[in-house]
Amino acid sequence: MAPAAKPPYPRATLRKTLRAHTNQPLSKNVDILVFLNYALFMQRLIREAGIAGKQAGGSAGVTARSVRKVRGDCLRGFRG
Amino acid sequence: MSESARKKQRTSTRESEGQDGTEGTLYADLHAHAHLNPKPVTPFRRAASAGVTPNSRRTPNVPIRTPGTGARTPRGGPATRPIPSRRTAPTTPHAIRALRERAHAARTPGHTRRRSGRIQRETPRDILRDLSRVLARNTQPTEPHLQARPPRNSALDFPEIEDGPDPAVPRLSMPLEDMYDDDSIHEAPPRQSLLPHLPDDVDNGTIQSLEFGRRAISEDPRMFGTRVSERFADLTELGMDGEEYEIDGTFINRRQTLDPQHAFQEGTDDDTTTDIRALTGRRDGRPSDVDLGVFGDLDDEVDEPTFRFTIPQRIQAAAPEDQDEEEGLDASAYDERQNGVYNDEPLIDEQADDNEAGEAAATAEGEDATGVFEAIGWESEHDVEDDAELEAYREETSAIDRSLQTQSPERPTDATKAPRRQRRELMVSAHGLEYPSFPAAVVKRLATGFAKSQGSNGKLSKDTVAVLAQTSDWFFEQVSEDLAAYARHGGRKMIEESDVIAIMKRQRQITSNSTVFSLAQKLLPRELLQQLRMEPLPKAKGQRQKRKRMETIDEES
Repeated sequence: MAPAAKPPYPRATLRKTLRAHTNQPLSKNVDILVFLNYALFMQRLIREAGIAGKQAGGSAGVTARSVRKVRGDCLRGFRG
Repeated sequence: MSESARKKQRTSTRESEGQDGTEGTLYADLHAHAHLNPKPVTPFRRAASAGVTPNSRRTPNVPIRTPGTGARTPRGGPATRPIPSRRTAPTTPHAIRALRERAHAARTPGHTRRRSGRIQRETPRDILRDLSRVLARNTQPTEPHLQARPPRNSALDFPEIEDGPDPAVPRLSMPLEDMYDDDSIHEAPPRQSLLPHLPDDVDNGTIQSLEFGRRAISEDPRMFGTRVSERFADLTELGMDGEEYEIDGTFINRRQTLDPQHAFQEGTDDDTTTDIRALTGRRDGRPSDVDLGVFGDLDDEVDEPTFRFTIPQRIQAAAPEDQDEEEGLDASAYDERQNGVYNDEPLIDEQADDNEAGEAAATAEGEDATGVFEAIGWESEHDVEDDAELEAYREETSAIDRSLQTQSPERPTDATKAPRRQRRELMVSAHGLEYPSFPAAVVKRLATGFAKSQGSNGKLSKDTVAVLAQTSDWFFEQVSEDLAAYARHGGRKMIEESDVIAIMKRQRQITSNSTVFSLAQKLLPRELLQQLRMEPLPKAKGQRQKRKRMETIDEES
């Protein structure tokens, strides 16, 4: 479930991204929580994409098409 | 009723004026036209006809409405007019009311009444009359002006022009004679003053302006120079162009790598190259087609029949390669090359690419150091007799090469810089700040883990990962916008953990059953969990308190 032992995600990159979008300073652990939120989002996205893929294409599972289909709803579900 | 009175007055004045005014004036003409026009149909009559009326009313209406029967004498008009109005005995209530209104209108002050009546009476006759009033009544006939204009027309060679004054006026306002003079001025001077002897059909696109046309560097104006020797050099240059790979041939010969192919070279020859040799007087250049067969990608250049096209091709191909080689060489070799071997460099390079690179470079350097023009094999070996020409040729090539050398360092640097920039793709946020997209590897790792946990094989195709990465970029953008909004709402500049927690609450990720830490424990690796745990332990307490108030906080945030 959790990503492997490696560096889980590039913290600097995520902080840069967030700062670019918000144009505001971030406190220390914001990016970790954001990544937690992102992981939840990803979980839901993959789950729903898998469901959509199974409904549409049978055994395909998570495909680009199914992800495209469900990502709008998932993003809307993760609005603050 | 009152109208009729007014009209009578008017007719009287009109008559007097018509007798007074001279016949030639515009005023008099207009009056005459006004007389010819039919009388206007007054609204009173129309209203009466519109209503339900006895037959007696229709009969006066008909002649007035139709223009044919309405052609009365102007004097008879007002005389006959009041009669039908008197005749009318209003029977219907509508007609009665209309009559009353009319009577009221008659009692109203004169100027308003008149104005209303005038609006109703918009006939051509009235327009003409108004116009005649506007005009001066005692103007003289305009014959003198009409007589004054025709002589001008005749002077301008327009004898058949209509004598009506209106079309003539705008034309006469223009100085036609000056215009013709201007034309002659426009055409003549530049050609005559600068280059008097040019016939018209000469293509003087560049000659006309003493400055040469701007060309690409490759089409250096030197190639179209005026000096005979330069031109000759150009021709040899063209010949060189056809023979480019001739040099290769000699070069290969010297290295003795492609000897068997060299045997074939004697038999074949290119048409264009022979022609050029005939022009330049050099017939004994070695044909190069076989060598070209070896380096097949360069075939098309030689097959090109047009010279202008091939020259820039060769030069452009040469420039960057030269630069590449220069980087590997020391300054002395570079200076040597400046003297004139520059032409040969690309060819050497191609050789080096095809054969062993190190050897070729070494030999090339040796060539450069010893005899500069050894590389131009067919000339140096066979055309020993015409040295002067050769000298001219050498000078010319060196000149061109120098011009190339000055240009060449710029191009390759651009070429090398461009791909480096492309490697980093930075997106720009709404605030104008650049940010890197979230790495696809992380996205893939995370997504694969989730997919596996779901029970599928966990394999994601490339485009799936691409879509996921794009989606995660969108997600981060959305989340950070929300975070910024939350921080702004809290009156903070800094975005804090509480904002993220508030967002997750709004998303119903954090409920009474799942805290931040339970989620983090499930989803995050241990390092991150520790980092998260180290600081916000007090916050966790506060968060539990918050959670009790969460229902109200939810709507707020």
